[in-house]
Amino acid sequence: MIEFTEASVVYPNGFRALDKVSLTIEDGEFVVVVGLSGAGKSTLLRAVNGLVPIVEGSVKVHGQEVVGATAAELRELRSRIGMIFQTFNLVNRATVVSNVMMGRLSKVPRWRSILGMWPAQDKELALQALERVGIVEKTYERASNLSGGQQQRVGIARALAQEPTVILADEPVASLDPVTSHMVMRDLQRINRELNITTLINLHFLDLARQYGKRLIGLRDGKLVYDGDINDVDDDQFREIYGRAITPDDLLEGAEA
Amino acid sequence: MTVPDLVPDAVSDVPRPKEPQFTKWLRIIIVVGLIIPLLWSATGLEISPSRIWEAPGQIWTLLGGMFPPDWTGTPKTIELILESLYVAWIGTIIGATLSFPLAFLAATNVAPRSVTLPVRSFFSAIRAFPELVLAIMFIPAFGLGPFAGTLAIGLHSIGTLGKLSSEVIEGVDDGPIEAIKASGGTYFQQMRFGVVPQALPTIVAYWLYRFEINIRASAVLGVIGAGGVGAEIVGRLRFRGDWPKAGAVLILTIITVLLIDTASSIIRRRIITGHASSSRPAKWMAALLGANDEPSTEIAEA
Amino acid sequence: MTTSQGSLTPPAMGTSERPEPPIQVAGLVLPLLAAIAAYTLAGLLGSQAILWGLLIGAVTAGFVWWRNFVQEIPWLVAIVVAGPIATSLFSSVLRSRTTVIEKGLSSRASLSWLLFGLVVGLAMSQASRPRLPGIAIAARSMATALAFGLSSFLALQAGTSIGYIEALRGREIDGGAIQFLTTGFYVQAGAILLALGLAAAVALRLRNGVLFAGASAVVMTLVAVNQINFSVKEILSSFTRLGALAGEFWPPDWAWPKTIGQPEAVHIFEPFIETLQIAVIGATLGCIIAVPLAFSASRATAPNYPTYWFSKAFMNVFRTIPDLFWGILFATAVGFGSPFAGALAMIMFSLSIMAKLLSETVDSIDVGPLEAAKSAGARHWQMVQYAAYPQVAPNYVAYALYIFELNIRASVVLGIVGAGGIGRLLDERRNFFQWDQVMAIVMVIFVAVILIEIFSIWVRKKIV
Repeated sequence: MIEFTEASVVYPNGFRALDKVSLTIEDGEFVVVVGLSGAGKSTLLRAVNGLVPIVEGSVKVHGQEVVGATAAELRELRSRIGMIFQTFNLVNRATVVSNVMMGRLSKVPRWRSILGMWPAQDKELALQALERVGIVEKTYERASNLSGGQQQRVGIARALAQEPTVILADEPVASLDPVTSHMVMRDLQRINRELNITTLINLHFLDLARQYGKRLIGLRDGKLVYDGDINDVDDDQFREIYGRAITPDDLLEGAEA
Repeated sequence: MTVPDLVPDAVSDVPRPKEPQFTKWLRIIIVVGLIIPLLWSATGLEISPSRIWEAPGQIWTLLGGMFPPDWTGTPKTIELILESLYVAWIGTIIGATLSFPLAFLAATNVAPRSVTLPVRSFFSAIRAFPELVLAIMFIPAFGLGPFAGTLAIGLHSIGTLGKLSSEVIEGVDDGPIEAIKASGGTYFQQMRFGVVPQALPTIVAYWLYRFEINIRASAVLGVIGAGGVGAEIVGRLRFRGDWPKAGAVLILTIITVLLIDTASSIIRRRIITGHASSSRPAKWMAALLGANDEPSTEIAEA
Repeated sequence: MTTSQGSLTPPAMGTSERPEPPIQVAGLVLPLLAAIAAYTLAGLLGSQAILWGLLIGAVTAGFVWWRNFVQEIPWLVAIVVAGPIATSLFSSVLRSRTTVIEKGLSSRASLSWLLFGLVVGLAMSQASRPRLPGIAIAARSMATALAFGLSSFLALQAGTSIGYIEALRGREIDGGAIQFLTTGFYVQAGAILLALGLAAAVALRLRNGVLFAGASAVVMTLVAVNQINFSVKEILSSFTRLGALAGEFWPPDWAWPKTIGQPEAVHIFEPFIETLQIAVIGATLGCIIAVPLAFSASRATAPNYPTYWFSKAFMNVFRTIPDLFWGILFATAVGFGSPFAGALAMIMFSLSIMAKLLSETVDSIDVGPLEAAKSAGARHWQMVQYAAYPQVAPNYVAYALYIFELNIRASVVLGIVGAGGIGRLLDERRNFFQWDQVMAIVMVIFVAVILIEIFSIWVRKKIV
C-alpha cells in the first residue's frame, strides 16, 4: 500500500512540483497518472521511491516512511520498487544481461558485485525476467543494438529482476511508435495482472490511459485534481486536468480524434 | 517474499542463448597482461615492504619541513616564475607560428601523400625528444640560461602542435573547399577561406593548451640550468634548513600555474563554443574586462 | 562580368534597408595605424609633452567620433583635454628623480594613462545607447582605464627593450639621458600604448575578444622577448658554433658502456630497463588510483559535496606540479638516486592527468542509467561501477595508453634529479662533457619512445 499524506515536493531551485497531495493506492492496483508536462507527474512517481526532496507531509510505502528514511532504509525500499523510464536509461555499451543484473545490485554482497561474480539464482532471475518480456534471445547482445521497443522491454526486465512489489513507469511509451507503445502497455498490464504488482504509470496520451488504466489520477500544477475510476471520466473532467480542450496531440492515434 | 514464477507459458519455449566465453577470456588476459609487467617492474625498483612502510612517514617529514613556508625570498621567486612564463610563452609562439603552415603540409585532405609522410615523420621525430633532453643538447651551443630552454620548448611544441593542428585540418568539412575550387579559387584561397575559418578556433585552443603544458615544462628546465624556477626548487630542497623556502617557492608556483590554467581554460571554452561559460571564474573574468552586460544588438545601433 | 539582365535586385526589394555591417577587426587596423603614425609624428616633433598630448587626445577623440562611439561635443573636448594632462604627468614622472627605468617607475608613470583611459571609458559608456546603469558605466570606465594603464606599463617595459633604448636598460640615467629618451623612446612606447589602449577600449566597447586577445598577445610577446633576451640574431650566429659542436656529438660513442667505470661496467640498457619499469608502475598504479578520484570529482558521480569539492581541489592542485618536481620532492623524501622515488613521482604524475581527463569525460555521461541504478536500490559505488564506468571505459583505456606514452617520456629525465632511470646516466655523462656518449643515450631514448608510440597507436586502433 502506498499512502501520500499532504506531501509536498520543492526542488532546490524553489520550484514547488508537488503541492499537498494526499492519496492511497492499494496493493495490486493499476493506476494511470495524467497531466500536462510540468504538472508534477514525474515528481509524484519519484516521491514514491524518494528520488525527490519531500519537504512536508509523509509518503509511506508498505508502512515504510520515505520522508526522513536513512540511506540504508531508502535503498531497501527502492530495491522493492521497480522503475521504468521514458528514455529507457540503459547502459548502451553494456550487454542486455548486465543491464538487467542492475536490478539485483541491492541483493548481492558487495564483493560479488565488485568482481562481477553473480550468484546462480540471481542470473536465473534475470533470464526469467527477460523471458517474461520475450527477448531472452538478445541476452548477450549490446543494449545499443536493440530497437526502441526492445530496449524498453530490457528496462521492464530490469525492474522485474528486482522482484518488485511496486512498479513505477515514467512515460514508458513516450519515445516509442504507436504499435510498440501498445505492446509495451500490454506487457505492463499483464505483469500487473499475473504478478499482482502495484503499477503506477505516467501517460501523456489520453486514449492509452483510457484503454489500459483502471484508476486515473489527474495532476495540475502539482495539485491533485482528479482521482477515480477511469471509466467515469468525461471530456469535461479531462479539460479540467489539462486546463484546455483536448487536442489531437494528446492522443496516440491523433488522427482518430 | 517468495520468488514468483515469472515465466508465462506463451514464451517459455524460446531457447536461452549460450553465454559467450570470449569476453570472459579477454578479461583474464587483460588482468594477467597487467599484473605480470607490474610485478616485473616492482622487482627492478628496489621496492621492499619496509620502504613502502616508511615512505608515508618520510613524505610527511618533508612536508612538515616545508611548513610554515619562509616567504623572505618571494621577490626573487616571482622573478624566476616570470622567467619561466616568458620561456613558455616564447616557446609557444615559436611552436605555433612554425607549426601552423607545416600542419597544412601534414594533413592528408589538403596535401599529397608524398608531402604528408615526411612532414608527419618530422613531427613524430621531434616529439620523441622530451624538452629536457633537447635543452641538454642545446646548452653547449647556446649556453646556460633561458635561451636554450626557449628553443627546446619551441622545437618540441612544433612537433606536438603540428600533429594536433594537422588532425584538426583533416577534420574540417570538405564542402567549402570544393565550393571555392569550383568557383576557380587558387590553392592558397582554398586554404585561406575554406580551411582556416573552420580549423582556426580549435587550433588556437590547442595553442593555449600547449602554453599551459609549456609552463610546466619550462618550470622544470631550471633543473639543468636552462632558466626559470626549477633551479630554485632543487637548490632549496638540497639543505634541510632551506625547506621552508622551498615550500614558499612550491606554493607560489602552484598558485601561478593554477591561475593561468583557469584563465586559459575559460578562454579556450570561449573560443571553441563561441559563447562565454557561466562558471564563477568565467563571470569574474568577464566582470574584470567589463564585458558582461552589453546586449550584442547594440553593435548594429552604434 | 556583367549580365545583360541588369541588376540582381528586383525593384520591389530595393526598399528594405541594408543592415549596418558589424565593425571588423580589419576595419580597425587602419585607424590604429593612423594613431601610431600621429604618435610617431608627435614624438619626432620633440619633447613637447603638451603638444603630443594634444595630438593623442585629438586622434583618440577623432577616432571615437568617426566610429560613432561618442557624438557629444563636451565628451570629445574632454578627451582632447585629457591627452595633454596625461602626457605632462607621464613625462614629469619620467623626468622625476629617478635613476633607472625599473618597474616602480613604469607603474607610477602608467597612472597618468589610467586617468586618460578613465576619461575615454567614461565618454564611451556615457554615450552608450540604450543608457547603461550606473554600475555598468563604472565597470566599463574602470576596465578601459585599466586597459590604458596596463598597456602603458607594458609599453614602457617593452619600449625599453626594442631598438634605441637597449643601451639604457638598467643603466643609470641622468637628465641628459632622459633627453635622449624623448624621441625614439616616446615613439615606440607611445605607439604601442596608443594602439593597445585604443584597441582595448574599442574591443571592450564592441566586445571584440579577438582584437583584445591579439593586442594582449603582441604585448606579452614583446615583454617576454625583452625579458629573456631572446633574439633571432643569436640563433643565426650560433649555427656556426653548432657546426663545430657537431663533431663532438657525432658519431655516438657506443663503446663506453663496456669500458667506463671498471671493474663493474655500466651497461646502457640496465638503467633503461629501470626507466621502463618506473613508467609501467607509474602508469598502471596512477591510472588505477585515479578512477575513484575521477568519479568523486564529477558532480553526477560524487558521493557527496565535500568529497566532490576536495577531489576537485586536489586534482587541480596536483595537476599544476610538473613531473620533474614530483621527482625532486620524492627523491628528497625517500632517498636520492632511488628508482622508488621515480615510481612514486610517476604515480602522482599519471594520477593527476588521468583524474582530470577521466572526470571531464564522466561529466558528459548520460545520467539516465545512474538514476535507474539508484532507483533499483544500488549502493553509490555499485551505481558508479555498473551505470557510469561502462560509459567511459573505452575513453579510459585510450587515456591510459596516452599516459603510458607520457610516462616513458617523463621518466627518461627523472634521473637528472636523482629519481632513478636512464636520466641519471644522461646527467652524469653531461657533467663530464662526453657529448658523444650523451648522443648514444639520446638515440636509445628516441628509438624507445618511437617504438612505444607505434605500439600505443596500434592498440588504440584495435579497441576503437
